[in-house]
Order: sequence, then C-alpha cells, then structure tokens
Amino acid sequence: MFEKIKKDFTTKTLVLIPIAIAINIVVGELVARLKLPIYLDSIGTVLVGAIAGPWAGALTGGLANLIWGLFTPTSAPFFYVAAVIGFMAGLAGKYGAFEGETPYWVSVLVGAVFVFSLTLFVLAFINVNVDETGYATFPSMGELFSRYLLLFIVAILLGGAIGYFLLQKGGYAGLWGLITGVIAAIISAPTAAYVFGGVTGAGTDLLVAAFRASGGGILSSVLAQGSVSDPFDKMLSFMVVWLILKALPARFKAR
Amino acid sequence: MYVARASGLHQLHPLTKVLTALCLLIAGLTLPGNWTSYCITLLIVFPLSAWGKVFPNLLHIVWIVSLPFAISVLLIQSLFWGAGTPIFEFWLFAPKVEGARYALISLGKIILVMSSFLLFSLTTRPDALMIALKQAGMPSSIAYIIVTTLQIVPSFQRKGATILDAQRSRGLETEGNLWVRARALVPIVLPLALGSLMEVEERAIAIEARAFNSHKAETSLIEIPDTQFQKNFRTVTLVAMPLLMIFGILWRL
Repeated sequence: MFEKIKKDFTTKTLVLIPIAIAINIVVGELVARLKLPIYLDSIGTVLVGAIAGPWAGALTGGLANLIWGLFTPTSAPFFYVAAVIGFMAGLAGKYGAFEGETPYWVSVLVGAVFVFSLTLFVLAFINVNVDETGYATFPSMGELFSRYLLLFIVAILLGGAIGYFLLQKGGYAGLWGLITGVIAAIISAPTAAYVFGGVTGAGTDLLVAAFRASGGGILSSVLAQGSVSDPFDKMLSFMVVWLILKALPARFKAR
Repeated sequence: MYVARASGLHQLHPLTKVLTALCLLIAGLTLPGNWTSYCITLLIVFPLSAWGKVFPNLLHIVWIVSLPFAISVLLIQSLFWGAGTPIFEFWLFAPKVEGARYALISLGKIILVMSSFLLFSLTTRPDALMIALKQAGMPSSIAYIIVTTLQIVPSFQRKGATILDAQRSRGLETEGNLWVRARALVPIVLPLALGSLMEVEERAIAIEARAFNSHKAETSLIEIPDTQFQKNFRTVTLVAMPLLMIFGILWRL
C-alpha cells in the first residue's frame, strides 16, 4: 500500500504540484475578474489527479487550501474537501475519464439525468412539510411528478442541451466532475454550517438565503446550496482539464 | 503576509506558534459555551498579537475579510430564521432575535479562525517555518512544494495578465453578457495551463541536478533558536489538542 502511494510521487510530480496550485489560484482570480458565477479554483488539483494519480491529487488539493489559507484564512478549514476532489480526479483518470471522446448520446444522457435529479432534489426540498413537533416529511415522488410535470420536462430538455452543447465529447469527464461535486457538497456542508454559520460571503449565499426562506434548516440549506452549485462547478473543472489533456502534445503524455 | 518586527513573539520557534494557533482554534471550536470563541479571541489572540506588535495589522485584515461574512450571516440567519421573536416588523421583513444570536455566535467562530491563523502568519517568516518543519521530520518534498508555490504565484499572476492582454489584442471579448464572458475562459485557461506544464520538465531536471533526491540530512544556514521551555510547551499543546476534541465531542453527546 505505502509503496504504491510512493510510486505516485516522482520528481516530475513534485514539480508539477506547485505549478498546479499556482494554476488554481490564478484561474480562480481570472474567473473572478471575468465576473463568472462559478469558482473554477480546482483546475490544477484535478489536473494533477488526472496526470499523476489519486494520492498526488489529494496532496495537491489539501496543500493548496492550506497554503492559500495563509492569505485568506477562510479556505484552510476546507482542505479535506479539496483533497477529496483531487483524489476523485485521480480515480477518474485511472478509469480513463480524461481519455478519448464520449459519444454525444452519453453526454446528453448525463446532462439530462443530472438536471432532472437536481430538479427533483430542489422541489422535494421546497415542498417539505414540517409539523409542530419539528418532524419533516418529504413529498412522494409521484406527487411531485403530477404537480410539476412541465418543469420536469423542461429540466430534462435543458439537461440534454447542456450535455450536447457544453459537455460535447467530454461526457465521461463531466460525469466524474458531477459525482465529485456531489461528494464535495456533502462533506463540506458540516464545516460550512458549523464553523461559518452557513455563509461564504460570496454570491452563492443568495441560494442559502432562498433555501432558508423556504423552510430548510441551516445544515440542510447549506447542503442544498452546495448540491446546486458544486456539481456544476466541478463538472466544468473536469471538462477544462479534459480539454487541456487533449491539447497536450503526445511527448508530454508519454512521460 | 509576514510583518517584520522586533518582538518576543517573532523570536519564538515557528512550531511553537503553529501549535499555539491550532490549539487556540480547536479550543474555541470545541469548548462548551456559545461565546467561548469571542473570549479566546479577545483575551488571548489579541493580547498575543499586541505582544508581537502586529495588533493593528491583524485587526485590519480581520475587519476586511470578515465584513462580507458578517453582513451575509447576519442578514441570512436573522431574516430567514423561521419561527422566533421578531426584533421589529417592517413589510415583509421580520428579523428574529434567535437568528441574530446564532449569526453572532457563528461570526465569533469565523473571527477566531481568521485571527489565530493571522497571528501565526503575520509573525512567522515562511522560510523559518520550512526549516523548522524539516528539522521536525517533515519530508523535504513537502517543504519544496510549499516554498515553490509561494515563490511562483506572483509570476503566474503576471503570466495570466499577459495572456489576457494578448488574447484581448487579438479581439477576444472579455466584457459583455454572461455568455460572452464565459466563452473567454477557455482561450485564457488553456494557454496558461499548457505553457506552465511545459516548464515541468525543465524544473525537474534543474532540481535533480541539485541533489533533490538525496537522502542525506540537509544542513541550514539559518539557525532557529529554541528553548527547553518551548519544547515542553509544544508537548503540552500536542497532548491538549486531541483531549480538547474528545472533550468537545463527549460534551455535545
């Protein structure tokens, strides 16, 4: 086990990691400068995972947040989330998510299924019933379908469109990004809720406010916010890394 | 981040400062009582920073960074608290006392996390920290990653700006509606990533030529002063941290 982990860390990997962390920081700043409503601050981490394996990815993610924490202390408590993202990127790389091209129908399917389940999740959340004792009951799926049939159809079409126009031939990478985003949302929610009272001081706080307004608790509102914004963000990060790896000359990949 | 001052705090061993900051952080988050984190910040972290002569710097950064948090958490938690005692009612808005209280408690934790981190990073030279960590047994590869990252970030920021300017001069639109701005992303990110990946091999050869993979213990030009008292103090904090965590978990059960 330990020997296997050690094998991930050649000199080239160790050189790659600081560069990847710098890419995280600089791309994060560029995105903020372009005023895009996403973070995209883990592209370098995903890149190391994809090139050098899960353990190198995990180390990159963890160190990135801890080092950046010296400048903005609020990112440090989330270092374990970044480590998991890097690890997932490594697994994705191992299973070939960043290689080759995905058929269009798979990308469409991935997009449609994802936006559909997101809609289901948010609707279930909005329509939750809390009785006087504080016991929450979620509406049944059938009930939701009959009430919001049109919305679900729109969601599936929109998801398909996202798959076709955005994921294009990178469907597998996008799928791994979506899964990673869901995991990141789940594991970061307790820290965000307990240490930071559920806010980040950024635009995504509006989502937290919306979920609080519709009756969610603090932890569940943070989780709901994360499940809406994280998968999309990580999907784009994985997609960008897929593009980078596709554009890399074969000479680099051979090493 | 580092602010050079002649103070007792600056002269402490870097590891003593790291462990103290971590210990204060964990104590503030685990000990019972809603206002513990405020107490620790006001009674321990702020006086320590005054001893290190960096109190104004610390206060300034904490103020800048925590302001958006403070506004956000107060608005969200008091306005959308659900059932509770309203402070006042105006049209649709009825902020709740319980929500505002919860927001203030959270804000205390945020301020504690920031100020204890800053207390350490304002008074510790990064290179001294690296040497101390290496002497304590951290692999030199980790030290290499941290030091190199701190060094290359500014040059990467310049590189990013250069690429942005170059693409703009070729007609890339970076302002306009969301779709226009989103499309500018790939032409900027790809050259940045590809260009920097090309550096990897050069850098790898350069450090391998300087005995990067040698297993001999390194020596350092800078001596880091340490005392027996500080060593004992560090042992105490190392024992205290897991105990605090266990205590905090048991208390809440």
